[in-house]
Amino acid sequence: MSTPAKRRLMRDFKRMQQDAPSGVSASPLPDNVMTWNAVIIGPADTPFEDGTFKLVMQFDEQYPNKPPTVKFISEMFHPNVYASGELCLDILQNRWSPTYDVSSILTSIQSLLNDPNISSPANAEAANLYKEHRSQYIKRVRETVENSWNDDDDDDEEDDEDEDEDEDDANDK
Amino acid sequence: MKVQVLEWNAVASWHWDLKVDDSGVADELCGICRVPFDGTCPSCKYPGTDCPLILGDGCTHNFHLHCILKWLEQDTSKGLCPMCRQVFVYKRIKNMGTSEELHNLQVLIEGHKAMRERENEENEFDSFEDDVRMTD
Repeated sequence: MSTPAKRRLMRDFKRMQQDAPSGVSASPLPDNVMTWNAVIIGPADTPFEDGTFKLVMQFDEQYPNKPPTVKFISEMFHPNVYASGELCLDILQNRWSPTYDVSSILTSIQSLLNDPNISSPANAEAANLYKEHRSQYIKRVRETVENSWNDDDDDDEEDDEDEDEDEDDANDK
Repeated sequence: MKVQVLEWNAVASWHWDLKVDDSGVADELCGICRVPFDGTCPSCKYPGTDCPLILGDGCTHNFHLHCILKWLEQDTSKGLCPMCRQVFVYKRIKNMGTSEELHNLQVLIEGHKAMRERENEENEFDSFEDDVRMTD
């Protein structure tokens, strides 16, 4: 059945197909327009360069008046990304506006990668290394970039050690 | 040659009367639902007077009535325009009608205004408290 949220998501999809911003792509699941898979390519000239970071976006019927829940599936090492993959980003919380769409959400996340907000860290270790030991931070990020290329093989979704639980939770929803 | 008109069909088209902003461009899509203003918002079956445009006053952003109504129903909207985050107020236009929904819009805008005023008072009180603590 078509609902206002679904109609809006179809428009978002059309926009993504017609003029997708560079370095991001997204599409809804074939049988459920309320759940989207997305990929953000790490921006050039940053430690995230060439990473293919996968995300899941979950919308509800309140969209676009409420933001979707967005979560990285790929392993991330970033001051504003929790171990569960969830993000700490103002526009996905208290600064949300119904004029945002899939394309603008993904562009915001893309620019967050190399421009972390250190004042509200979700990953204290990443925030500390970013501030105090930049070269180590870059090394850790490069590791996640390399791991992101192997994500495709994890059809059984069992390659990450301690993040499995959270991922399973998301799949249950 | 003599022509006899046996039948005729009148065809008319309509368009919302949109003011063009300073840059000379009028938005044609509702920023919330992304549907052209002349089309229907996602809550309506037919375009037209049941789903009028609401013109921002103060900002130049326009929305379908139902779209801006649903946004302002959210507490998180804080009564702000979704485009520019200024306090959202709308232009009163002649013959705008007095539908229940228009009335609801007004109620929501006033509700947010009251909420902001209360918050401002609380903030003033908080900063007063902070001052006291500083001098302790």
